[in-house]
Amino acid sequence: MLLDLEAMIHQLLSHDMNRVFVTAIVDSVSEEEIKNLISPVKSRRFGFLQKRALAIAIKALEDGKVDKPDMILNGTFMGCIDNSLKILENMHSEGESVSMPTAFMQSTHNTISSLIAIYTNNHAYNATYSHGDISFECALQDAFLHLKSGLATSALVCKNDEITSFMQQNPDFFGTITPKDISEAWVLTTNPNITPIFEIQDVVISHKKGYDSAKILKIKL
Amino acid sequence: MHDRVVITGIGLVTALGNNVTENLHNLTNAVSGIKQMKFLVSEQKQFPVGEVKLSNQEMCEILDLPYDCHISRTSLLGILALKEALKDSGLLDTKGLGLISGTTVAGMDITEQHYPEPLPPNKPPVHDCCSNTNFIADYFGLFDYTSTISTACSSALNSLILAKMLIENGVKYKVVAGGTEALSKFHLNGFRSLMILDENPCRPFDKTRSGLNLGEGAAYLVLESESSAKERGAKILGVLSGTGNACDAFHQTATSLSGEGAFLAMNKAITSAGITPKDVDYISAHGTGTPDNDSSESAAILRLFGDDYPPISSTKSLTGHTTSASGSIEAAFCLLAINNYFIPQNVGYSAPDENCIVPFVGENTEDLKLNNVMCNAFGFGGNDSSIIISRYE
Repeated sequence: MLLDLEAMIHQLLSHDMNRVFVTAIVDSVSEEEIKNLISPVKSRRFGFLQKRALAIAIKALEDGKVDKPDMILNGTFMGCIDNSLKILENMHSEGESVSMPTAFMQSTHNTISSLIAIYTNNHAYNATYSHGDISFECALQDAFLHLKSGLATSALVCKNDEITSFMQQNPDFFGTITPKDISEAWVLTTNPNITPIFEIQDVVISHKKGYDSAKILKIKL
Repeated sequence: MHDRVVITGIGLVTALGNNVTENLHNLTNAVSGIKQMKFLVSEQKQFPVGEVKLSNQEMCEILDLPYDCHISRTSLLGILALKEALKDSGLLDTKGLGLISGTTVAGMDITEQHYPEPLPPNKPPVHDCCSNTNFIADYFGLFDYTSTISTACSSALNSLILAKMLIENGVKYKVVAGGTEALSKFHLNGFRSLMILDENPCRPFDKTRSGLNLGEGAAYLVLESESSAKERGAKILGVLSGTGNACDAFHQTATSLSGEGAFLAMNKAITSAGITPKDVDYISAHGTGTPDNDSSESAAILRLFGDDYPPISSTKSLTGHTTSASGSIEAAFCLLAINNYFIPQNVGYSAPDENCIVPFVGENTEDLKLNNVMCNAFGFGGNDSSIIISRYE
């Protein structure tokens, strides 16, 4: 009953609000493209996932014809986990005296969305969601609500995770959970003049004990 | 146009105390909770920390959970704070709530105890952020929406910002939002590697400041629409009237000299609250005590408020820097300040720095009335956020 009422109010509120279009989805990038899209000088200290994530984000912005999005969002299960694992390994083998500032910095989950902002010199709204395998949908919902209600006109929404060689060798290391090896970027806009791939009607997230689910409701155009 | 988003409950666990009452007492009396580490097992004893004064076993006993080392300290702190928030708001039996939690290090305390051995497959997952949020949520069984924000030290403040968004758009009626973070060897040594830890008690905005003290804790606030709160007769503690999120876009861990991200976030918060800088009566600063943060935050405040800025203080010399939880812990302090008519002291300050604002260290006056309070939280990667909490009247 409560849910029906919430849905009804949501629908009423949605009336006369902006339409949200997806104008680009990029989920792969070649080595060659990475070299062309990002400066090798600037990226020499970036980790593997950071390079891939940044190149895919830039490619998506080009494809989606959005120069400076009003929002940069990332969804990640475990962040640049290679860095976290390096710190754990070094603390284990060398003790607490080990110093790893770069790995620590890059182990923080928001390092990718920040990197995209730094690299593209974008001071806009910037956030990272880390909610298991629906991290991307959580980020997408934030962007969708901003665009729909007119608080933003464009957004870059990414999903990024890596499977390191350590994780390949130890697939059960984190217990029953495993992220996917993936980098993907979507460009959202309220501008109807850029050819859209589809329209987002809603992003619905729900939780039951020990389990999350998310649905992206799309309208084909 | 919108129903206002109001706050109807607070839950707090920090080095200052295990509940709101203890926190309020030590906050008003400026009694620091930063001490030598007692529960964290680390060689780095030279660094004082803002530890919560409970062992994991004690927390399990309080929460009636089997003591089992596969519950992270982050989750235990979170459950304690969330329970108090739900009770305070009268929602302990209400289903269909949303939970947004900010965390970064999450279950790393457990992972590092096991490494290089894998985490046991027959136990619930504990390493990642989401597992912690959902463990906290499922202790209560009241939540049908959960989400985790991980923007380093602004995580919990961004959780409050998302909560407002969900309520204003009718996605959820009642959302509990905040953050939780526990100390771990990983975390302490990470900050040590960046050379921003002080071996002495931290001194935000002081000329002699030389780093932060790491802390831990959790805080959750119950947010709902004003009409929802009125309908059920909930006591209203304040209004989340403005929010701002911006990126410094300068460096992964350093802040720009001008504090561009901080300036933009504060400016957005003020604009979205429909007020001007003159209307802000107190600023709860991010004020970590690192040379960089405090001077760039000061530059941003001076640019926005001019020399005639309102009273400003950082409470991190009382709690330590509670990183991912700091935004909601300090937002809770702001609510306590509004409702109890006081401004928290900036403990540890004595020597003015020409590059910094002069923080509040004076006596509170009897007629103090805070109408609009700003709360800042800035994270690595330049993830800067700011909110305005207003008196409800």
